[in-house]
Amino acid sequence: MYPSNVIEALDSGHWIAVMTGYLVHLAVIAAYMYGLEAFKGQNLIQICLNSGKLIAAALLLPTAAYLTIAAITTVRAYSEIITLVFLSNTPLWSIMLLLVAIAGYLASLGLEAIFRTGVMLAVLFIPPLLFIVCTSFKNVDWHYLLPLADRESATLSFVAKRPFLESLFAFAGGFLFLGFVQPALAYKRKRVLQASMLLVPMFLLSVYVPLLTFGRQTASRFQFPYIMAIDTIDMRWIMFERINLFFLLSVVTFVTLFLSLLLWKVSRIVSLNKLDGKLSKFRVPAVAVLAGAIFIVCLQIPDWERVSELMWWNTYLRLYIIVVIPAAVLVLGIRRRRKVGLHGMER
Amino acid sequence: MAWRGKARSGFVLAAAAALLLVLPGCWDNVDINHRSLPIIMGVSKHDGQYKVFLQIPEPSPHSDKLRIVSATGDTINEIINDISTNMETRVDLLHLKIILFERSFAEEGVNDSVASFMRGRDISPKAIAVICNEPLERFFERLTKYENRSGLMLYHYFGENAGWNPQLARTRIWEMFRSIHSYTNDVVVPVIQSGSSTPIASAGSALIKRGRMVDLISPDDTLLINVFMGRGAQGKIEVMDHVDVLIVGNRIRHTASMSGNAPVLKSRLRLKVSVLETKGDLNRATIEKELDALMTKRFNRLLEKMKRNEADILGLGQLFRTVLPRERLADWRSEYLPRLKGDFQTEVILQNTGNLKLDGHEEGNGTGRKQGGG
Repeated sequence: MYPSNVIEALDSGHWIAVMTGYLVHLAVIAAYMYGLEAFKGQNLIQICLNSGKLIAAALLLPTAAYLTIAAITTVRAYSEIITLVFLSNTPLWSIMLLLVAIAGYLASLGLEAIFRTGVMLAVLFIPPLLFIVCTSFKNVDWHYLLPLADRESATLSFVAKRPFLESLFAFAGGFLFLGFVQPALAYKRKRVLQASMLLVPMFLLSVYVPLLTFGRQTASRFQFPYIMAIDTIDMRWIMFERINLFFLLSVVTFVTLFLSLLLWKVSRIVSLNKLDGKLSKFRVPAVAVLAGAIFIVCLQIPDWERVSELMWWNTYLRLYIIVVIPAAVLVLGIRRRRKVGLHGMER
Repeated sequence: MAWRGKARSGFVLAAAAALLLVLPGCWDNVDINHRSLPIIMGVSKHDGQYKVFLQIPEPSPHSDKLRIVSATGDTINEIINDISTNMETRVDLLHLKIILFERSFAEEGVNDSVASFMRGRDISPKAIAVICNEPLERFFERLTKYENRSGLMLYHYFGENAGWNPQLARTRIWEMFRSIHSYTNDVVVPVIQSGSSTPIASAGSALIKRGRMVDLISPDDTLLINVFMGRGAQGKIEVMDHVDVLIVGNRIRHTASMSGNAPVLKSRLRLKVSVLETKGDLNRATIEKELDALMTKRFNRLLEKMKRNEADILGLGQLFRTVLPRERLADWRSEYLPRLKGDFQTEVILQNTGNLKLDGHEEGNGTGRKQGGG
């Protein structure tokens, strides 16, 4: 979906849109992490709770709402994609149930289980994904790369448009979790930034492979351009005719992982962080209730049109989260640094 | 507390087992014995009614038969549904390799059909589009007579590692779809008919402009297009008055520019050839000069045809992407292509002369290179 948004956003010079999105992402992560660093060993929820009820409500409520809606749209959208591409007779509810159940189970096991699964999935599915990405260049026509920019893309006039704003979803979902893992897992700021660099080629590829294969005019007509571009690859020596199936299955496993992370985050927020200690026996029911709610909401969404509508509504929340949370964390962090600094001097 | 741990793991196991009911995708499972997997689909349209032919191989342990089924209706999907209803198995277009359009239908325009093939989930966008120069009934009748057991003949005819040769165009459904929506890309689609001594005979290629067949070009021109696109001309025989050569390598370079309001395209084709057959005495220089002249003539003829039909089958507009702004590129076919000035030059390298030396002549021009003019 990300490529389809970017391709729709402008006529040429799509790399500018990708890079703009990415730079926003980078700035957000940097500010967010700088703020978090001031609170060693505390996660976002603790930080907010310690800064007063009002701030906590203003920051955590939209975040919980955003993450829940994101989970709903992800479940609904991917189950729709799966039925579109291969399981055309399977009822949607069964696919959604599967996605929600696995993600919920993972989330109920906690963060460590999610990360371990992540490593396992990476080992299993990154090689086929890389292979598919390499083969997807088979039908490209490099002339479509040009022109590199036109007036619209050079003046960044596309940033206020709907497709571009929607495309930010690809960046927004992930960064929040950096604020949740804090006590359990330590990470280095530099490493995270370096790792996020690896994403740039992925984003560029996902946009440019369909563009170079079909040209902008045609690519903008597809619901899922990258899957379509993979579908055009014809290689006789591969025993499987449709490698897009493999691509999609690998992607769906990662989506399940992402979902479990979302569920886990929401459950932490909703319970105000208390699930770890003596209340830990409520962790499983909490996630189960959440997953059940998401599943029921997903069942109520009748068509694709509604899904995109929901995504668009969620875009407002997303903008709020991209702008306000890192900024707030940054400000809180700077204030705390000052305080700590003063204490340090007194001593 | 041990019993609780056991109860929990038991619950998890039960849940995992329950997921098995959902997991295997049984809703989409149809046993292969109950599927019909057509390889070729023919589509024609008369008086607003589509007629669809499906060639379905029916493998069995003793003999493999081919079945041709056909039906008429208002939409292609409806017809396939009808056929599926009337057959004892379910028709599954997953492995459809070739889509055959009747010529009259192609001339009328196949836009909607191509779009619906792209939209549908089962037909692969990789299927090859072919135009049939005669009524489909007759073509399928003749084809079945010759057809060997597998029903793959027409597929092999276009197979890259099988019967395809560079005088045949080869265009896939997604390329047709692209050409319908692109500003600058038209496609050629192979035209075939049943032959006299071979089951299939090539009748050249159709110029498809925005999904409509507008002209027919010869196999020689198709070869030129394939050379132009850099699609291996290797192993291809080029017939001239008194010499046959084999193209062993080709490379092409373009420079695009605008002079005033007219686009100018300079193309330099470097052709490596090897001699196959000669009549009478010839020397290197003559062969090279004749090949130059021939290629240039053919190119100019093809360009004229493209200009007349406003169909950019060579994708020349692609080369002007940096020269023309996008809004104007949208009018490329109608505004600019007819005014295009083509400057085509060939550089022929006679790589070798086969196992024999060229007769009777000492080879004066040692390098064997020569610039030809267009």
